[in-house]
Amino acid sequence: MEKLLISLSDAFAQVPNRVLRYRHFVLSGLIVVSSLMVWGIFTRTELDMTTDSFLNQEDPSMLALNEYRRQFGSDDSVFLVYRARDGDVFSRESLSAIQQLTDDLRYWQQLRPSDYPDTINGIDLDFNELNHVRRVQSIANLRFQENQGDTLLSNRLVPERLPESDDELAAIKALALNQQDYLLAFYSADARYGAVMIQTDFGAQPIEDYKPAVNATDVVLDDSFIDFDAFSADETFDLEFDESAQIQEVSFEPVDMLGYTNFHVVTKALYEKYGEQFEFFPVGNPPMMEFMMETLTQMQVLGLVMVLIFTLLLYVLFRSFSAVLWPMATIAASMTWTWGFTVWLGVTISQMIGLTVLLVFAVGIADCVHVMSAYFSFRREGHDHYDALSKAYGKTGLAIMVTTITTMAGVLALTTSELVPIQVFGMMSAFGVVMAFFFTLVLLPILLDLWHPGAPGADDASLADRLGDRWSSLSTRTKTVAALTYVITLYSMLGPWVGSYITVISLLTYIVVNWQVAILSSVPSFVARSPWLVLSMFAGLFVICSYGMTLIRIDSNMTELTKEGSAIRVAYETVDENMAGAMSMVIMVDTHTSDGLYNPRLMQAMDQLQSRIETRYSDQVTRTNSLANIVKDTYQIMSDDDPAYYRVPDDDQMISQLLYLFNSANPEDRRALVSDDFSRSHISLNIYNAGSYQYQRFFEEISREIDEVFGPLDSEFPDLEVYLTGSMALLMRMADEVANSQFSSFTFAMAVISVIMIVTLGSFQGGIMAMIPNMIPALLGFGLMGILGIALDTDTLLIAPLIIGIAVDDTIHFMTHYRVELIRTGSISESLVSTIRDVGQAVMFTTMVLGLGFALLSFSDYLGMAKMGFFGSAAIFVALLCDLFLIPAMIIIFKPTFGVKDADTRIYFREKMA
Amino acid sequence: MIVQRLLCAFLVSSIFSAPASAQNLSGREIMEQVEESQRATSDSAFNRMQLSTCRFGIKDNRITCAERPRIKSLESVAKNYGDDGKDTKSVTIVQEPAAERGVGMLSFSYDDTHRDNETWLYLSALGRVKRIASGNSDDDAEPASVFGSEFTTEDTDTGKLEEYKINVLEDATESGREVWKIELIPNAERARKSRYSKTINYVDKERFVVLRVEMFDQYDNEIKRLLASRVELVNDVWMARSLTMMNLVSNRLSNMAFLEIYTDVGVEDEFLTTRTLTDVAFRETELEKLRQQVD
Repeated sequence: MEKLLISLSDAFAQVPNRVLRYRHFVLSGLIVVSSLMVWGIFTRTELDMTTDSFLNQEDPSMLALNEYRRQFGSDDSVFLVYRARDGDVFSRESLSAIQQLTDDLRYWQQLRPSDYPDTINGIDLDFNELNHVRRVQSIANLRFQENQGDTLLSNRLVPERLPESDDELAAIKALALNQQDYLLAFYSADARYGAVMIQTDFGAQPIEDYKPAVNATDVVLDDSFIDFDAFSADETFDLEFDESAQIQEVSFEPVDMLGYTNFHVVTKALYEKYGEQFEFFPVGNPPMMEFMMETLTQMQVLGLVMVLIFTLLLYVLFRSFSAVLWPMATIAASMTWTWGFTVWLGVTISQMIGLTVLLVFAVGIADCVHVMSAYFSFRREGHDHYDALSKAYGKTGLAIMVTTITTMAGVLALTTSELVPIQVFGMMSAFGVVMAFFFTLVLLPILLDLWHPGAPGADDASLADRLGDRWSSLSTRTKTVAALTYVITLYSMLGPWVGSYITVISLLTYIVVNWQVAILSSVPSFVARSPWLVLSMFAGLFVICSYGMTLIRIDSNMTELTKEGSAIRVAYETVDENMAGAMSMVIMVDTHTSDGLYNPRLMQAMDQLQSRIETRYSDQVTRTNSLANIVKDTYQIMSDDDPAYYRVPDDDQMISQLLYLFNSANPEDRRALVSDDFSRSHISLNIYNAGSYQYQRFFEEISREIDEVFGPLDSEFPDLEVYLTGSMALLMRMADEVANSQFSSFTFAMAVISVIMIVTLGSFQGGIMAMIPNMIPALLGFGLMGILGIALDTDTLLIAPLIIGIAVDDTIHFMTHYRVELIRTGSISESLVSTIRDVGQAVMFTTMVLGLGFALLSFSDYLGMAKMGFFGSAAIFVALLCDLFLIPAMIIIFKPTFGVKDADTRIYFREKMA
Repeated sequence: MIVQRLLCAFLVSSIFSAPASAQNLSGREIMEQVEESQRATSDSAFNRMQLSTCRFGIKDNRITCAERPRIKSLESVAKNYGDDGKDTKSVTIVQEPAAERGVGMLSFSYDDTHRDNETWLYLSALGRVKRIASGNSDDDAEPASVFGSEFTTEDTDTGKLEEYKINVLEDATESGREVWKIELIPNAERARKSRYSKTINYVDKERFVVLRVEMFDQYDNEIKRLLASRVELVNDVWMARSLTMMNLVSNRLSNMAFLEIYTDVGVEDEFLTTRTLTDVAFRETELEKLRQQVD
């Protein structure tokens, strides 16, 4: 084993020479393949950003939702809640403004686009997007039913021409607040808030190239349609039917983020015209997706700034622009091949490609920094370019290979997930990590050969070197004044948060640049002085974080993923507080029996379930609605408004006739609630926004209630199916699935890393010992969240293993190098000193670059991203502390020999350092 | 009411029109001719019809129901009133399905736009008549389904021809007959009430019967198609006795079969009152009288 490690290291040392010997061949090969990949990226990339793409189409939840959609169509709508600035949505001004807005939305074809802005948030307004509006409902066009003698009146709640007198207006308001069906759905009980319901056709619009099968030539109507002479006057005419006839299944246009966003910005332009009278709080998929889109745009900005920070840090730390350019080139090549290869395989990619880029970036930077750090330090020691290059690869190659394997194992575990985009993400990321390794081996040496900084002290010192020298020559006073001016400027320009962030970066960079050698060389003696103290401090941290881990809550809450005070969060909170909840869910009732819904016992069971849910879960559910409500309403109205008839009758003929009027509704509307043959329908629930954890428990309880209420109907309806579904249930199913797959990925990664560490370090004891510093960063991230009561949401969960993998990489570099040094020198002390000195610098640099880079993500408006930025960055820094202090302390205390025979276990660097 | 309008809108044309000059007619004139001849036929009419609704499929190049159709059979009686016979009173009674037998609707529709139409609904299970009124003009009324079928009130009520831009697109052949393809595009006012961005009507050049209508949505996709068949001469009037409305998105169709059509029967005014809805004996006696007239 030892021999293998040494020979592997030697083999890596040979790599640069081999590559450079065939550089023209290698370079042209890389260019040709890269061009092919770029071509593939631009011609073959298929991006699917729909939520549906996440689940396997055969998944039970997906089947249920598809079944629901096939029957009842799109339920995507914008619930546009507004607050009247004059405090009353029934005031004359509010009413006329909402009449106008309702008209604008319904008859947008008559609007003049020139009256509106051309773009909103950089998105061009396209009025044709308003074609998606299927129906608009508001106070302005609601009707209410009223019994007057033998007449059933259906009047507008608010007449088109508003009454002259204020008394009449007050009467309208009083009447409206009495309409239980509309209260909370269209206005709040205190009349301060109102709502416009904009129903859309998203998800129910046939795909663009849909051609009805009946368009085919030669297709004609069957003769049975005209063959009714045979039936006498008293008979009905039975149209023939053939169950083997081929029914065309329509596919619907999938909806992506962009579609929703484009629609919502136009809607926004329309309603914002009434901004003087109202403040708006839109909820629903379109505004939510618009927010996500803004987050993505913000992410692009943050990404750019992140690259800028990487660049600056690399430049300052290495004092050479080549140290910036070449890692970027290496990473770009890795990403190009990864992306290109994936699309050439014909795989559809999702928005998760963003995470792959992030991972490849991080791994690529770590790989390059380790190589370059070694290369630069060999140059400083006086080795010539080729020698330094060879030595650098010899020293780092093995560790890079090991980190590549461990990171790959971690992401490959994701391929066991049932969510397709996560599988693709796992594969792509694994490939990306390998590519980063590959390009670090074959491309970086060539690039470093093309351009590399001269030997230290040479005339061609870089700009950074010269700036550094000039800075050092300044007096302490001047330095202090300059630093203070710098900090004050930062704070005044960027505000307290970003200001602090940049100050910390600057300070850390300053310390590292100036005193890294001093810090690194004092570490061994510092640890050796009181190793037990160091160990017990880390043990304390370990215990606290483990305790924190037990407090962690896995919970995804859609609005809590956004910053407090962000428009979308305020909107959802406002709707939850003042109106019926902003979320919805459906309970599908499928009797598998024609006319099954006319059965009074079934209808009563639906009614009973609804009232149970409304009374028992009033903290989660605001309203429920189903066919039973329609039956009860009609029964009462047709019985002279006698409240005693507000119930489901006991007679199926009665139910059938009460539904007669409803059956004359618009076919689309009727079909949205009940199937043509009255065999299936659904109960819809308005629910408050909550986290996935709470929902999951709520779902379980509802399922129990369903079993209790519908159980007795088993004998009458043996095939009866009643189940929860809807996009909400699907999202929760996904959250659950992400949590599971991440947990298994995490466990699997830990196991693989342990095995690899045991093999690389050549001893069980060593492997286990190495796992402790590997686990602390992860524990710290999760533990802190647990202690601070911050929920671990699916997004954070998805990214957490990546960050941990990156944090762990440095530890692996450290341990691998130590082992190789131990084999070479046979002395614990010497190995430790050289490891801290050589790897310490690289580890410090990667920590600076990645830790500070990721910390930038904390500023994202999207908390899923911000949380992972903050805690990820904390984990990376803690990993550095583990490498520099915990590992040496453990080595000093436990004196592991990693199977190296006759190793010198004496600790003597106190003297040596002195 | 609704059924009467259905009759009017689609199937009727007078043989008294002048086919000789037909070739030079404008789109509007053709549609006017189709409409004009309708009025004569809705007066004093007694019909028995059946509405069948099912999912449809294709078998051996033939469109057919792929499941047992749901059937409603109806009887209706109508009579025109007013100076030019432009007001209509009608009564419609459901015969099938059994659960809805006896459900009836009485409806008075007035040509005068300032006068609200009146409708009475009778639910036999409840034994009550209710007058149903939409207190305001029905400017924002959405198209409703005709007895839960694929036919909507919009399909049955083409509205006023002035509300459309009418273009003759081309000459064509439909079901072996020479037709004009005539496009009707609603104006802004009409578009407010319509689900269709346009319709294309195939009008028989000789008989002035609409043989096929294609309905388009806002994306200019055909979403519904009406096929008229069994065009027959009834009381000297050409009419289609089988109308099939296909929803091309949901793949469902509704077929309206006019099992019996009688025009020019003597309908007593007393029959077109709420008494017909509530008094079964009276209704049956009167209907029997009508049947005897036509036999």
